[in-house]
Amino acid sequence: MATPYIEILVFACNWDGWSCIEATANLGVGYPASVKVVRVSCLSRIHAGLILKAFEFGADGVMLLGCESGRCLFGVNGEYIINEHEKARSILKILGMRQDRLVLVQLPAFSGQEFVMQVKNFIVEIERLSASRRAKITDPEPAQDIAVLSQQ
Amino acid sequence: MFDLQSVISDTGVRLCLDCGKCTVVCPVTRYDAEFNPRRIVQEVLRLNGRSPVSDTIWSCISCNMCMERCNYNVKFTDFIRFLRYKALEEGAEIKYSHGGAPQTIMHIMAHRETRQDRLNWLPEDIKIAKQSDTAFFVGCAPYFDVLFSDLGVSTIEGTRGALRLLNHAQIPFTLIPNERCCGRDLLLTGDIDGFLTLARANIHEFGKRGIKNIITSCPECYYTLKIDYPKFLEDWDITVVHITEIIAQVIETGELTLGKLEQKVTYHDPCTLGRYSRIFDQPRSILASMEGIEVAEISDNREKSLCCGASPWAHCGTVNAQIQKERLAQAGATGADILITACPKCQIHLKCAQKNAESNDVCQIEIQDICDLAARSLLPQEVS
Ligand code: SF4
Ligand code: SF4
Repeated sequence: MATPYIEILVFACNWDGWSCIEATANLGVGYPASVKVVRVSCLSRIHAGLILKAFEFGADGVMLLGCESGRCLFGVNGEYIINEHEKARSILKILGMRQDRLVLVQLPAFSGQEFVMQVKNFIVEIERLSASRRAKITDPEPAQDIAVLSQQ
Repeated sequence: MFDLQSVISDTGVRLCLDCGKCTVVCPVTRYDAEFNPRRIVQEVLRLNGRSPVSDTIWSCISCNMCMERCNYNVKFTDFIRFLRYKALEEGAEIKYSHGGAPQTIMHIMAHRETRQDRLNWLPEDIKIAKQSDTAFFVGCAPYFDVLFSDLGVSTIEGTRGALRLLNHAQIPFTLIPNERCCGRDLLLTGDIDGFLTLARANIHEFGKRGIKNIITSCPECYYTLKIDYPKFLEDWDITVVHITEIIAQVIETGELTLGKLEQKVTYHDPCTLGRYSRIFDQPRSILASMEGIEVAEISDNREKSLCCGASPWAHCGTVNAQIQKERLAQAGATGADILITACPKCQIHLKCAQKNAESNDVCQIEIQDICDLAARSLLPQEVS
């Protein structure tokens, strides 16, 4: 069976995040073509609404790639994105889409190798999640059914 | 799906040309002189579909105050809904609030393949019937509490309260694990296709479980399921009741007696429960039946209740904030400790105004759901 095409959207901050993407080119290490990178000025410009929108438009996974804590050029230090990331993960969970489809990755500048490794692992993880989701969809009833809850 | 001429005649808006009475009561006009129901009608008739109407159509908060005032029974809110539908068709972009997250959630929920995991808030003490043809429709509270966690809202407390009241009254009900949003906010913003997809997914879930009756605590879900679903969908034969209707009834028959709480409260009639659904007395009789509860009526109450400044998660701005501030001030003026409401969205919108207040003149009164309060009166009292 052919491996399904897993679409990943990466929001990379303009600074350390983007430097990792550039480093992949400089080092000559490639990443799968199904990984699309969107460059943003700072991860603090990304909110739960945008992250969820990516899923609405068919992304299988979203990676938020930014600076390590203490390195943020704007001094925001990920506080905002950590909160939005948590919110979006909780929503994905309630939607039954699994929260691990969203990751926040904070790397040192120019970590090209590390980025490629992480994104490849992410794809493997999502393949696994998608397979279990497909199984769940053919299952007529949701896993958490009320019959297992407290009864009157 | 619709055409302009038939909507103009069905809604009767031509009558607005010689009128304009509702302008005086419209809360949006009060803070935004650009917005005027009659002028919107004038513009639409003048353009006659040749070019898009102005952006002001997005400012209406669907509070239905105009319908209360109108002597001619003009269906202005239906007209606005149609204009929005048409604007979307012509490629208008909605200015979504909260980054468009609520709409995205609704669209994802609409998928046939969606299998939600939405019952994690259910505490052990609440008992669910194994099989019942009565379902409690939860609504979007589980999503709201995540999305608006920054505001410190806990709308699910109202849901838990409602379920505990049903347990106390020994009314059996089941829950629908893969229930979808009722779709009201999509309908109000003119996204009728989105609304219909959600509605059909819900009907499928109800059908699968043989649901004949629905109880809900969210006024938006109540009105949408009860009034809009039958309008848009054939073969809808499910009865829908609001939790306050049932609870008021069992209190009256003596099947449920609420407990005691020493508190002075005021009650905010949500537009969709009050003006739209005419449920004014039941919440009041629930409050009145509780020993120790003193109710101070808010100045604009019942049919005249001032909207919480809600929007269907779009085009929310300073006008909405000013309406919210005014409503909170009215609540504060009653001298009550708590503002009681029966709608999760009122809670969110009012708390938003409190949290984002730029000055200290926004009344910071506590806001609580009626079912949450009523259920708390049934907890074992601490002996002092
Ligand atoms: S909606 Fe009714 S009150 Fe308002 S302008 Fe039209 S006719 Fe007059
Ligand atoms: S529904 Fe409310 S906001 Fe909209 S026109 Fe009528 S009174 Fe004004």
